[in-house]
Amino acid sequence: MTDELLVVRAQLGDRAALAELVTRWHGPVWTYARRMLDAGRADDVAQEIWLAVVRGLPRLREPGRFAPWLFTIARRSVADRLRGEYAGAWEELPADDPAAGDRPALGDPAVGDEAEAVVDRAELVDALSALPVPEREILVLFYLEDLSVEDCAQVCRVPVGTVKSRLHRARRMLREHLEERGYRP
Amino acid sequence: MTEEARRSARETIERLESSLSRGMRVRAVAALVAGLSGTVFMAALWLGEDGALPGRTRLAFALLTAFCLAWAGYGGWLLTRRVPLFATDQVIAAWIGVAASITTTALVAAVAAQRGTGPVPALAVGGLFAVTALTLAVRAHRRRAALLRRMRELTAGPEDG
Repeated sequence: MTDELLVVRAQLGDRAALAELVTRWHGPVWTYARRMLDAGRADDVAQEIWLAVVRGLPRLREPGRFAPWLFTIARRSVADRLRGEYAGAWEELPADDPAAGDRPALGDPAVGDEAEAVVDRAELVDALSALPVPEREILVLFYLEDLSVEDCAQVCRVPVGTVKSRLHRARRMLREHLEERGYRP
Repeated sequence: MTEEARRSARETIERLESSLSRGMRVRAVAALVAGLSGTVFMAALWLGEDGALPGRTRLAFALLTAFCLAWAGYGGWLLTRRVPLFATDQVIAAWIGVAASITTTALVAAVAAQRGTGPVPALAVGGLFAVTALTLAVRAHRRRAALLRRMRELTAGPEDG
């Protein structure tokens, strides 16, 4: 059953469809929250996200675009938690290289770092946590949540070009961070 | 080892139950409908009084009207911010609104006629509420029909190729 069908059924009041929708997206939502926040807050924020999703679901006009809508809500909840702690971290950054937005793997040679391909998940996650919020967020949405550049732009409320340049910068920062830890091509 | 959420999907759903409960939806709709009906009723009684009323009586009318308005505001806040009203719920809630507005209008018009103040103002105000409620009911039906149509399309899609 597609997400859109589940959303439509949930909007009609089908509780089983709503439960299935929550079950299906529970992991990705928590992953996003956890990558952006510490473990202690990720569970609470994930619950807040689901509460906001359930409250807003009747007003969702495009059931086929559930994922970007869901992560827009998730982003807002995470931003609320980070506000103050990282003041200004969510401000839009200038687009410095709009041409750099295709989807290479994190260890794609085109990015210039084959060593990243062999970094295991835990170490990659650890490295992610060291990145600034905007760069970390865009990597999580694009690679871990598998959203398109267009969907990332909608979630982050920035132009597509900015997403591409942010991705380019984030990959470079991640590569540099990993190299500092001894992972070299 | 992969880190996992401490709270399972089932636990997450269970924690959402209070927001999804039928009792919560009924309370929200009841607060809005009763608050609006009460406001119309009290305002109609107040405006229908002949001559200048004593200060205490005016104060009592104002307080009662404000009390009803507060309940209407609370119900509206619940329905827009706290309690999800899905398509079928919206249809039911809209028809409850239609029934309540018609009943209130009839009641207020009857009281006005009994006092000899003329039912026209009451019918005008009540009619406005009834038309609004009816419009919401039509919208709710259309929204539900659109969702049902989309559900049929999505369900039939794979078989139709």
